[in-house]
Amino acid sequence: MDKTLDHFRAPITDTFRRKSPFDQLVEHMGKVRECIDLLTTGLIRYYKGDYSGFSELADRVSAFEHDADIIKGNLRNHLPNSLLMPVDKGKFLWALREQDAILDHAENLVQMLDMRHTKIPNELQGIFIEHINLVAETVKTMEDAVENIKDLVESGFIKKEREETKGFIHKVHEAEYNADQKKYDLTKKIYQMEKKLEPMDEYHLLKIADWVDDIADHAENVADWLRSMIAR
Amino acid sequence: MDFILVAVLGGVGALGLYMAWNIGANDVSNSMATAVGARAITFKQAVIIAGVLTFLGAVLVGSHVTETIKGNIVDPYMVGDSHVLMLGFIASLLAASFFVTLATWKEMPISTTHAIIGALVGFGLVAGGQACINWGKLFEIGASWVLSPIAGCILAFLVFKVIVKLIFSRKDPVESAKIVGPAIIGVTVCLITVSLFTNTNVGTMLGIINLYLISGVSVLAGVLFAFLSAISLRRIQGRSSQDYETVELLFRKLQIGTSCFVAFSHGANDVANAIGPVSAVLALSTGSDGFSALQVVPPYLLALGGLGIALGAVTWGHRVMRTVGGRITSLTNTRGFSVDFGAATTVLLASNLGLPISTSHTVVGAVIGVGLAKGLAAIDLRVIKKIMYSWMLTVPLAAVFSAIIFIVLRMIL
Repeated sequence: MDKTLDHFRAPITDTFRRKSPFDQLVEHMGKVRECIDLLTTGLIRYYKGDYSGFSELADRVSAFEHDADIIKGNLRNHLPNSLLMPVDKGKFLWALREQDAILDHAENLVQMLDMRHTKIPNELQGIFIEHINLVAETVKTMEDAVENIKDLVESGFIKKEREETKGFIHKVHEAEYNADQKKYDLTKKIYQMEKKLEPMDEYHLLKIADWVDDIADHAENVADWLRSMIAR
Repeated sequence: MDFILVAVLGGVGALGLYMAWNIGANDVSNSMATAVGARAITFKQAVIIAGVLTFLGAVLVGSHVTETIKGNIVDPYMVGDSHVLMLGFIASLLAASFFVTLATWKEMPISTTHAIIGALVGFGLVAGGQACINWGKLFEIGASWVLSPIAGCILAFLVFKVIVKLIFSRKDPVESAKIVGPAIIGVTVCLITVSLFTNTNVGTMLGIINLYLISGVSVLAGVLFAFLSAISLRRIQGRSSQDYETVELLFRKLQIGTSCFVAFSHGANDVANAIGPVSAVLALSTGSDGFSALQVVPPYLLALGGLGIALGAVTWGHRVMRTVGGRITSLTNTRGFSVDFGAATTVLLASNLGLPISTSHTVVGAVIGVGLAKGLAAIDLRVIKKIMYSWMLTVPLAAVFSAIIFIVLRMIL
């Protein structure tokens, strides 16, 4: 037993947790958002051919991933069966898992980009930047949705707040759809340039488009789990 | 009166005071912690409320449970000998004090109520065999231990549901809260008034014993307090239809009322654990005439118990409240209000029925009720198991302790 005794009887303290799981979910979300913001500015510079400081960026993304992992581990390891939550615990954990997957992908992405500096052709730079901005937008709308869950808990799950959360989730889907469309445009353009590009560059450009888009996909998954979490 | 008797009485009084102090330091502060944790009152206010209201509860409504403890568990006429009975009550008090001290030190979720009941049964079995135990009453008490957390749970669930449906779901939650909040306060005051006048000294003194009169006075008091609290809230303005913060702010004020309710009910129920045996010993010290005196509880003894509890809350309680309050910060004011209301109503009802129950356990039940109403982010239900184990352990262990102490006392005195 690691806790020290205070020498009084207080069964009520045993019923409460130091931190609300929803607060921790939002805290984790904050890390995700910060990290994706950092990634976005870093990627835009990378797309423009400025590789200075990219290794440092990769390290910072890894640091974010690590911080968030600690929050995730803390949260996941301290949700015993006996815990009564206003939402399904399984769905809650899936939302957390998908949220964490965003950071895993971000970390993979920067590490791979750092290993091989792929020159983005000038005619593709614009659309690559548009794409990452749309992906970042998806994560931003997802943060709104996750933060609204707290209001939902605070108000005791009233209809008004549920509708509002659903509205935010809808926005995530919209943003993800836009990011997807941009990715198809992008991929089409890369294939159109295949005669001009080195095969390895071609491969990498396709990979970058995929990896970046994965982030939006996972953001959408979070939203889906939130939706089923608050379903009556 | 010989010297030994005076010394014994002094010792018993001191023990009773110690038990009262322990109840005040631990249990009252515990129940007040919901208000402190929800930031409705400061530590200082909590200590004052706990002191004053527990004292009042003990003096005004404490007689019912005290009568149960002193005369309704072990049948005095079956034991027969007033000397033996006296030793028995002393043994019970000693055993319960010892057990409670141990439990407090080890942080077991044990209630003073369970310790004293177990101790009484223990000495009763040794002194007069199983025939002298009032098993019917004991069964009633056991049932009330299971039912009281459930009742607290249901009441808190309902109150929180009312708050969600009639306040949070409304277009203007703040305006709705200004009506619903004071209405619940009115109900609270009404309940307190009813219990204040039903079969108590106050009722007889003021001549308010008629059922219609009691209900009339209670409704009047309820309406008056509802009106007063509505006035105190009228200045607070909401900002939007999602302004839950201002609703919480409103309930922060109202929770001062319910925390008084908790302290009052607590005093009414728990004073008996300390003062019941003391008053029995005092009555029996006059010889076998004391048997009839077992039926009544002198108010000055209740006052002594109330004082002890208040003293405990003042001297040690702030430490408990600070720690507990710091740990349950996720309890906001609407939740705290619901918990307080559910728990205090249950405890007060039990007090009026003369049933000794545990306030702490009822509070836990109420917290779970709010959790079931989707009002709390997370509640650990393992506490239920802990409490059940403590029931199963406390009663037999306290009984054995008290029996041993009783046998030893009988040998030397």
